[in-house]
Amino acid sequence: MPATKQSQTQGEIPTLLVGVDHHCAPLELRERVAYTSESAEEVLVHLVAQSHIEEALLLSTCNRTEVYLRHHDEQKAFQRGLDLVFLDRAKEVKEEGRFYVKHGTEAARHLLSVAAGLESMVLGEPEILGQVKQAAALAEGIGTSGVILRRLARSAATAGRRARGETAIGEGAVSFGYAAVDLARSIFVNLESNSVLILGAGETSVTVARSLIEKGARKVQVANRGQDRADAFLQEFPLASGVAFDRRLEALGDADLVVAATSAPEAILRREDVEQSLRHRKNRPLLIVDLGVPRDVDPAVGNLANVFLHDIDSLEQLIERNLKRRRQEVPRVSQILEEELERLLIWYASLAAAPLVAQLHRRAEEIRAREIADHHHHFPESTHEHLANLTRSIVRKILHHPSSQLREASSTENLHHLAALKDLFRLDEDDEER
Amino acid sequence: MESLLDAAVILLPIAYLLVAVDYGFLFFAGRSLAPRSASFGLRGTLILHIVYLGLLTAHWKQFPAATVPQALSIVAFAIITVYALVEWFGKERSTGFWMVSLAFVFTLIASLMSGGPPEDRELFHNPFFFGHASLALLGYAAFAVAASYGFLFLRLYRELKAGRFSLFFGKLPPLEVLERMMSGALMVGFVALTGAVCTGFIWARDVLPGQWLSDSKIIATLLTWGLYAAALVLRRLRRWQGREMAIVSLAGFAAVLFSFFAVNLWFSDFHSFR
Repeated sequence: MPATKQSQTQGEIPTLLVGVDHHCAPLELRERVAYTSESAEEVLVHLVAQSHIEEALLLSTCNRTEVYLRHHDEQKAFQRGLDLVFLDRAKEVKEEGRFYVKHGTEAARHLLSVAAGLESMVLGEPEILGQVKQAAALAEGIGTSGVILRRLARSAATAGRRARGETAIGEGAVSFGYAAVDLARSIFVNLESNSVLILGAGETSVTVARSLIEKGARKVQVANRGQDRADAFLQEFPLASGVAFDRRLEALGDADLVVAATSAPEAILRREDVEQSLRHRKNRPLLIVDLGVPRDVDPAVGNLANVFLHDIDSLEQLIERNLKRRRQEVPRVSQILEEELERLLIWYASLAAAPLVAQLHRRAEEIRAREIADHHHHFPESTHEHLANLTRSIVRKILHHPSSQLREASSTENLHHLAALKDLFRLDEDDEER
Repeated sequence: MESLLDAAVILLPIAYLLVAVDYGFLFFAGRSLAPRSASFGLRGTLILHIVYLGLLTAHWKQFPAATVPQALSIVAFAIITVYALVEWFGKERSTGFWMVSLAFVFTLIASLMSGGPPEDRELFHNPFFFGHASLALLGYAAFAVAASYGFLFLRLYRELKAGRFSLFFGKLPPLEVLERMMSGALMVGFVALTGAVCTGFIWARDVLPGQWLSDSKIIATLLTWGLYAAALVLRRLRRWQGREMAIVSLAGFAAVLFSFFAVNLWFSDFHSFR
């Protein structure tokens, strides 16, 4: 078991993570160990059927597959987790550096970091938080997550939400599609009321159209030279409508946003074409995003008033600026993760308070009973019952306040109290003697 | 009473500065110093300003627009009231930094210029003065707001044109919203200035027969009014859009400042309030 601590650190959450992500495995390998909801259900049920695994949660996205296990025996849990989740699908995972293992607090910190988007291929990408929540809901739904993993997933969701709400880790577009959306939002009030004309129906056009439609664009027209691709585009986006490529200049007059992504060898929009359309537009602003290489739009179009022309270089500049801003937010996100992790650890430590308090009461009762047994002959028999009740009451009253304080366990101070309690009253030894 | 007024003169620009800093944090760093502190600070400063204007009115027993500092204070108050309404109804706080900073500049100049008591001219007690001065100051405040939105519009417009994205990008409202706010403010300013010119014209015929046509303040104001009127006509006829209107709003505001300060302080006679 690589980099595994053989014995679990005292007070650490008994959690183990085995995972494969974009840092250590190529896409081809990640695809083979990716799980659908159905296959995830199946493997989770198999995992908790193992005697040394008590809880299991599986997170599977296009960039990572991770299994979180609560275990009784770390070594055995690791082996079964690796076999069932990864090696049964791809033996290559066993190769050096193809997977990672994290234990206890480190495993918990990792899930929080994943939910906050710090581990994503694109820093701060928003989808991962939803995927973590889905994975948690799935495990909870089929009963493979229990008190520990449910709480861990909840902490991860809180950390992810806070990271997005309190920092700029998810702000600014970092893809061409969303960069086009950002540009449109800097000019127009809302995308819903704007007309979008897409020139070309290839992969780039589809990606950009997807982002625009996701963010509210409703009036979308596509013009493509080849009918097959145009049909495929219209099939993927049923709310879009087609325009003959030769009639693109007519459609230009109504468009507020034009996305050009064709493989045409020369410009398909010339300055005079756009100038002509501007007259019909009554000078309303026009945003043109040219993603063609070579460029689809004559650069002189950018000199026209109220026309905003952006090419690939311009979009890349915007994306790089946003990524830089996201990178600057990493320390603040890390701070949030540590706060949530501390809350989680306090909660976990508080689980240990109840048995400790019970032990303390047991210990006190034993002392009381022993002392009464040794000395009760000094008192008249008629007072024995009263004496027993009185001493019980004294013990209960003495222990009442410390017991309720320890059960609350709402701060790190109480963790110290628990440790001190164990130490002062030798409560662990008490158990061992038993 | 006077010590209260003196304290308010110092406190007011400090309050505006603090609120502007908080809105600056909100604009540049994406968060205010404490949750909702900028909005609460804005409301507190508005209340302080209302109290100050109330005390001023009670103390001098006249509409507090008899001196340049008093008029500047009213312009600042009008700017911030307009912005508070925009924030309240539009849930739009991204331009707060610019509007509060503008109000801060006006209150700061007002505080630095504030000195002796206002003149006790008979015309200040005339009901026409209240209407005429209120409309003129409302117009100036609206033109200041329009110029601020015009500045932001041009800034964003240039960034979008050049494809070079600064800190401003993604933090300001869209160009269409900036244009709408700028045009709305221009229209309010134009109507108010027209009202001020009309009331002034009617009033001056009675109280200053023959003098008013040679007053440099009136000439400057009429030229400013003409500039805005021409721009609004061209907007209608030549479909002038955001960029042209933004340039007009800045040029017009420069004319307003000229007529407010230069003409008031150096040229005018009966419009000269110090």
